[in-house]
Amino acid sequence: MQSEILKPVVVLAAWSMIMWLWMYATRLPALIRSTDYDAKTSVGSVGADLRSFLPARVQWKADNYNHLMEQPTIFYAVAIALALLTAGNGINATLAWAYVGFRILHSLVQVTINRVIVRFALHAIGTIPLLMLTAHAVAIIFSR
Amino acid sequence: MSTDILKPVAVLIAWSLIMLIWMVVVRLPAMKRAGIDINKIVGGKPGGLDGVVDDKAQWPAHNYIHLMEQPTLFYAASLLLAFVGQGTGINAMIAWGYVALRIVHSLIQATSNIIRYRFLFFALSTLCMAALSWHALIAVFSFHGA
Repeated sequence: MQSEILKPVVVLAAWSMIMWLWMYATRLPALIRSTDYDAKTSVGSVGADLRSFLPARVQWKADNYNHLMEQPTIFYAVAIALALLTAGNGINATLAWAYVGFRILHSLVQVTINRVIVRFALHAIGTIPLLMLTAHAVAIIFSR
Repeated sequence: MSTDILKPVAVLIAWSLIMLIWMVVVRLPAMKRAGIDINKIVGGKPGGLDGVVDDKAQWPAHNYIHLMEQPTLFYAASLLLAFVGQGTGINAMIAWGYVALRIVHSLIQATSNIIRYRFLFFALSTLCMAALSWHALIAVFSFHGA
């Protein structure tokens, strides 16, 4: 079986892995430089606790990585459902590509300039294709 | 469809629910000790119990939240691989590796929570995740000409 919608799905998964690398590539050197942190003795805590002493720009990468673990979970579920329903081609594949395109732009903004109005606009507009995909999935499933 | 990869998927889902139970079992007595009456509280925010109840009582909850993050990517990639008929062999083994490393990661985070070990298991498990993502990319875009 093959379905066009799976292409944007794997691209977003791979992009998330790139953001994971980006997060570590900035966070680990910052932790090594930091006098507030000793990796040998550290116990407990969560990633967000690093916010108190790491530069904001470093934490932005992690913020975006976490962001990618939130709403895209719905995207994956809906896209795979559409593929299973053999509705993963044409307009739905296009919408999925649009969603992924906006998420990648959103990532790039959040980890660089991080202007909230730009990030917000990209997130808000980028959610529209997901809404449409969800509506399509609902319509197809309940019309069978 | 090739469904070997669905076994580690099901195991990680079940494990996440075990962590959910672990979280609740540790949290409710800790809230009581901290003088919080669960019948009266309204609202709250994520992480709101950090620094309020014993640190250790939050560790299973931290891990439960962790399991709601990257594994969502794992579920997507694994279901996709099963769907395109590549959920067997090396991909199923990588998926088992991911799940095993995540379970060890959970056990560390919920007990000793020594960061350097936790970090090691998270980084190793993410390498499995990266490999699965790469294989999913190849499978879907048919880089090998399929």
